[in-house]
Amino acid sequence: MKILIVDDSSTMRRIIINTLTRIGYGEVVEAEHGKAGLEKLGQGGVEMIITDWNMPEMDGLEFVNAVRAQNPSIPILMVTTNAAKEDIVAALQAGVNNYVVKPFTPETLKEKIESLLG
Amino acid sequence: MDQSEVDALLKSSGGKTKKGGSKPASAPATAKAPAASEAVAPPAPVAQTAPPPATGEVKADPEGQVIREIDAVTEVTERETNKVMDQLDLIGDLVARQQALITEILANPGSQDPSIHQAINQVMGAAKEIQGKVFEAMDLLQFQDITRQKLERIVYHLRQIHDYIVDLLGTGLKNEKPAPSISRTIVQTGTTPDERKAHADSVVEAFRMGAQGKG
Repeated sequence: MKILIVDDSSTMRRIIINTLTRIGYGEVVEAEHGKAGLEKLGQGGVEMIITDWNMPEMDGLEFVNAVRAQNPSIPILMVTTNAAKEDIVAALQAGVNNYVVKPFTPETLKEKIESLLG
Repeated sequence: MDQSEVDALLKSSGGKTKKGGSKPASAPATAKAPAASEAVAPPAPVAQTAPPPATGEVKADPEGQVIREIDAVTEVTERETNKVMDQLDLIGDLVARQQALITEILANPGSQDPSIHQAINQVMGAAKEIQGKVFEAMDLLQFQDITRQKLERIVYHLRQIHDYIVDLLGTGLKNEKPAPSISRTIVQTGTTPDERKAHADSVVEAFRMGAQGKG
């Protein structure tokens, strides 16, 4: 299971990778913004995406829209500090499958990933 | 932040800090009006803003020094947080190595004595506890990303004020960079994990119910 992590914070990417490794998902690819995320996705093999919202170049919402235009089924989990109800709804409307507000516990991330992967 | 960075930051602040780093002994702690009976010496002029550096080229500055300093702070804290993570990774690796050694010892016939076995198991339990605490410490470093985003929001507003003043005065350079995507709710974001999990989950659930209803 290869998971793509898109977040401009290298600290946050490491925290997510650590959590994923602990729960048995060791194969990850990283990108620091939406544009780079699309490139990594284009290289193939990615089965799930974890993305931040607020990023330079291309933000998470634009990224999700771009991904959904080419891949309607890949599971996408948004992990962000944006906690307003209208933000969550906008992300879900764009095609995000589930939503985690930062800061999160590893248990929450695990629960969301497992619910997405069925 | 190492000493060279501290020095660079002090230098870039344009000499706003006083030599020696402390106030003169006679300086009052807070500003107050002098009593009429007090013999008041004419106040020494106080520099409210730092003068431009005596040397060095003065350039048009569309970013503003404060914004650059805040950007530098976010860069430094991210780098330093990653150094902390490197150390935590190292501790995690050492604990994993210790656990592997203990497992080897447990397989040795000499360790089968009940008292030795019990002691080794206690060491193993402690190692697991350390590993758990290392992971917990790593997770707590999310505060760096939260703090960075709070600072980015401040930078965003400072840029708006800067551009407004440029418009108002009709002089200076406006920032040409596109407005970054910032969190509207970051001000209320704390550092305790999952403070808003229930809220987010309920919005997701309501959205799904609504989508099902429409379907």
